[in-house]
Amino acid sequence: MGLRSIIHKMTAPSHYGESPSGPVKLVLIINNGLKMGKGKIAAQAGHASVKATLKAGEKAPLILQAWLSSGQKKVCLKGDDADQLLSFEKQAKEAGLLTSKIHDAGHTQIPSGSLTVLAIGPCQDELVEKITGSLKLL
Amino acid sequence: MSNNDDSPSMALIVRKDLGLSAGKMAVQCAHAAVSCTMASRKTNSRLMERWQNGGARKICLRIDDLQSLQRLAGQAQAAGLITHIVKDAGHTEVEPGTITVLGIGPAPRRSIDALTSQLKPY
Repeated sequence: MGLRSIIHKMTAPSHYGESPSGPVKLVLIINNGLKMGKGKIAAQAGHASVKATLKAGEKAPLILQAWLSSGQKKVCLKGDDADQLLSFEKQAKEAGLLTSKIHDAGHTQIPSGSLTVLAIGPCQDELVEKITGSLKLL
Repeated sequence: MSNNDDSPSMALIVRKDLGLSAGKMAVQCAHAAVSCTMASRKTNSRLMERWQNGGARKICLRIDDLQSLQRLAGQAQAAGLITHIVKDAGHTEVEPGTITVLGIGPAPRRSIDALTSQLKPY
């Protein structure tokens, strides 16, 4: 490692800027308490993924690059309700992971402003699994 | 809604013959949405920003089978719209390489409606 990269490593703002050392994924936790239809869930998951992607583009470009070039791995998990999603958001933020929340405009199916999806990542698999390991696949 | 009829929108068109589970379908649609967004950021970033600022409207529609999906993708490309076809890696539920979802847009809502008016919401 050259002097330049050592200095860079010491002065880099946070681990957001580093290349991931393992596989990366995006986790989508769906608020299953809302009983949304399949199409609704899919659109909400789309919102969350796009938001997470754009956020990562600003804050973690290397991780985003790794994620995009490795097939954009995504996992869709089942959350109980808004409170549970918020508690996962808190844990993820404390672990230094990127999060994105989607509140629905409420044009269809559910009350306006409902928290529908929480996205965590893209980030290294094991970092997010520590937080969401107990959740089941949707 | 009629006054902003031409605000940008995105359509996520899912093959209904595959009988995907809710979670699988969500992931495939999310994939299409991200890929279309990244493509539009390169080719038409102003439209992409307008779409994002206007609530990033997305609609999820269903289509009968692969043939219809490919025909629609051809029509959308011929109309100059951004499209992305999602091929599943096949880790779960479907065979590797199965085409699951077509994403169209972001594009003016009218252009999308013109192509997809016969399709039902999923």
